[in-house]
Amino acid sequence: MLGKGEAAGQAHLHKDDDGGEQPSGVVKLISAEGFEFVVDKKAAMVSNTLRNMLTSPGGFSETREGEVRFPEISTPILEKICQYFYWSLHYSSGKETSEFQIEPEITLELMMAANYLDT
Amino acid sequence: MASSSSSASAATCSGVCETRLVDRCIDAAARSASTVEAWRRQRRSLERLPAHLADALLRRLAARRLLFPSLLEVFQHSVEEIDLSGHFAIDAEWMAYLGSFRYLRVLNLADCKNLNSSAVWALSGMSTLKELDLSRCSKITDAVIKHLASIESLEKLHVSQTGLTDNGVMAISSLENLRLLDLGGIRITDKALWSLQVLTQLQHLDIWGSEITNKGASVLEAFTSLSFLNISWTHVTCLPFIQTMRCLNMSNCTVHSICSGDPKAVIQLEKFIVSAASFGTVPSLITLSLAHTKVDDSALWYISMMPSLRILNLSRTCIKGFMIENSVKMLSMSALEELKYLESLNLDNTQLTDDVIPPLASFRALKYLFLKSDFLSDPALHALCSASSLIHLGFCGNILSSSGLLKFVPPAMLRVLDLSGCWILTGDAISAFCRRHPVIEVRHELMQELQTNCSGTFQLYKSRQPQQVNAKVSKSLAGPDERIKYSKEELMELQHLATSNSLMHVMWLPPELRRST
Repeated sequence: MLGKGEAAGQAHLHKDDDGGEQPSGVVKLISAEGFEFVVDKKAAMVSNTLRNMLTSPGGFSETREGEVRFPEISTPILEKICQYFYWSLHYSSGKETSEFQIEPEITLELMMAANYLDT
Repeated sequence: MASSSSSASAATCSGVCETRLVDRCIDAAARSASTVEAWRRQRRSLERLPAHLADALLRRLAARRLLFPSLLEVFQHSVEEIDLSGHFAIDAEWMAYLGSFRYLRVLNLADCKNLNSSAVWALSGMSTLKELDLSRCSKITDAVIKHLASIESLEKLHVSQTGLTDNGVMAISSLENLRLLDLGGIRITDKALWSLQVLTQLQHLDIWGSEITNKGASVLEAFTSLSFLNISWTHVTCLPFIQTMRCLNMSNCTVHSICSGDPKAVIQLEKFIVSAASFGTVPSLITLSLAHTKVDDSALWYISMMPSLRILNLSRTCIKGFMIENSVKMLSMSALEELKYLESLNLDNTQLTDDVIPPLASFRALKYLFLKSDFLSDPALHALCSASSLIHLGFCGNILSSSGLLKFVPPAMLRVLDLSGCWILTGDAISAFCRRHPVIEVRHELMQELQTNCSGTFQLYKSRQPQQVNAKVSKSLAGPDERIKYSKEELMELQHLATSNSLMHVMWLPPELRRST
């Protein structure tokens, strides 16, 4: 996961974990403040909304451009969402277990973003 | 806002990807009183919260007993449905906050034992509230109604087993939008029911355990939309004919009539619940239609317990004529032999096969038998030779061969043999049969042609639906004609009849009503 102007002190999840993905298999998620998060398409598809956008043959402009804007989701929340995508991929096999930590202060905003993204 | 610190919770994570992020957030928000403190002042977010998320979060907080009155305030602009049933703590303070909810539609306060009438004042004038449940709130009295009367939007009101009386219930008549009214366990009298008849939009009415009598029940006709009625545990024995009725519960009543004795009434009940009810012996069930229901052969045993039955319609049911018990095939139609007065039996469009027909020949009183099907053939017809009372036999659509027809020795009383749709038959066979048995009217598509060729005295009939004949029969019978359609499940409840009401077994009738033989 690459981010422009990354916030200090954040623990990023393994961005090279899923090595072997095609380099073109990424999508750019843009927060309300214009912060761009580049994530693997596989990770983004944890969200049903994004999965529909990226796989529909209809031709969302997002499919062509490879970037999705979220004017309603702030940067820290979008970052947390991306962390959740990778956490979800990593632990979906069920071999290891881990708790996805959600800080109490962000529960409401994260809930609304997750609801929008259907994840 | 976001911090990188995270408290290590002891909770383990099961079903990693089955739990969605949304649910994890709700769970995290409602984890403890301290987590609640972290977000309860985030007003902007709380106002933007979609209704279903707000409802879910509130539900979780209620379940974890983390709710308190001032916390309710943060949900004022988002929550639409609240279920606080069973919360003993609910009192005037809670109600004061609930009363300020802008979009509240459904409020469930059942079993809130501490809630009294004056606390409900806080809800008066709420213009969005549609559903309110105060069941079993024992401290609620007639005084509550003046507060509820101002909630004109109310469509569903549950006040069963509260402290209401006739006076309070009469005042409910001002809530003209009511579709559901649950007054179960309240001892209202005919007077109260009479004043409620203005509630013409009422679809669901629960008055079990009341003091309603037949006189009061007659006003139920005024409820032109009524589809669900529960009058169990009352002294009502006769109901007026309510055409819209789909579900009727008369458990623990004595049932004499559910259509005020109107012989032409055809009631289309989907559910008729009569556990531990008793049916009056005079008049008793004469006509029973289970057509188009999913009853199967297990129902035949219960039907055989209605000794006065004369007309039985089982068309288009799942009856097969046999049951498999311990890998043994047992013929089920013989159960109906118990019905000594059964005159008409309609088995059209059921899946009977030839081998289950023989028991039908032993029904002593059977005059009209309808066996329209695609599956029956010669043996079925021949099995009916010995049906001594049979006047009309419908055998439409079956696989009857010409030789089968000619070999058939009709019973002595037979006057009509309906063979419409038996395509294998030839004109020659039919005319030969008609010559042999001139007294029998044979119905078939070829009859019209044969009539012009033959000098016989056939009469031309188009093949009519058997139901029309059925109707003729029913009008000729004396006594009330109560057609009730049961679902199989409710017929099961009739088994209580058999044990609790010995009258059904013994069939004691006063001398003037006993038949000779």
